[in-house]
Amino acid sequence: MAAVSATSVTFGSSLKLLKSSQITGKASSLKMVTVGWTKSGFPSLRTSRFRVSCSAKPETVQKVCEIVKKQLALPAESELTPESKFAALGADSLDTVEIVMSLEEEFGISVEEESSQNITTVQEAADLIEKLVQKKSEA
Amino acid sequence: MASTPSKSQILSLFRSLLRTARDFSDYNIREYTKRRTIDGFRHNRHVSDPSSIAAAYSDAESQLQIARRQVIVYSLYVPKLKSVMEIKHA
Repeated sequence: MAAVSATSVTFGSSLKLLKSSQITGKASSLKMVTVGWTKSGFPSLRTSRFRVSCSAKPETVQKVCEIVKKQLALPAESELTPESKFAALGADSLDTVEIVMSLEEEFGISVEEESSQNITTVQEAADLIEKLVQKKSEA
Repeated sequence: MASTPSKSQILSLFRSLLRTARDFSDYNIREYTKRRTIDGFRHNRHVSDPSSIAAAYSDAESQLQIARRQVIVYSLYVPKLKSVMEIKHA
């Protein structure tokens, strides 16, 4: 009985943490918090929230890399870091537009004209996707 | 109207054509429109003469108008069966 009440207390605190992290807009921190609350104590919850950086989720980056590879017909084992620029990989402006269109289709988002012209690296694309997916889920 | 379209104008025309292609309900026409715009723009990539650039641009613009009209017309005749290529296999 005591154990049940203890877990309900920690669950309540993690709910508050979830709500505040939603306000700051860091969706990936949700994952960290739900893992964290099964461990003991509040300090671990707080530190796991601060450990989250503002970069995109690795699965998103991975999907973006795959789409870029397919579009530019790169071999499967080529090095594709989040910081690689599209131009450095051999993409011209038409390729960039096509990549943005495939990303729109893949993630079901709609990219603005100006934003699409500012995308030069994989990381920027992933961040923009994250932002738009989050806006879409909040709407 | 500018006589020579700028790079960003050309790119935004490219995007509009691809977006319009997405709205077609028929798989074949959708894929064809996408293929044709990509091929058409790539074919004219190295054109440097301003008057031919402007001619190609206005050509693409009229094609965009045609495509937009056809999206509306084709939406009246949506096929009941999806094409086999559209069925995603788990």
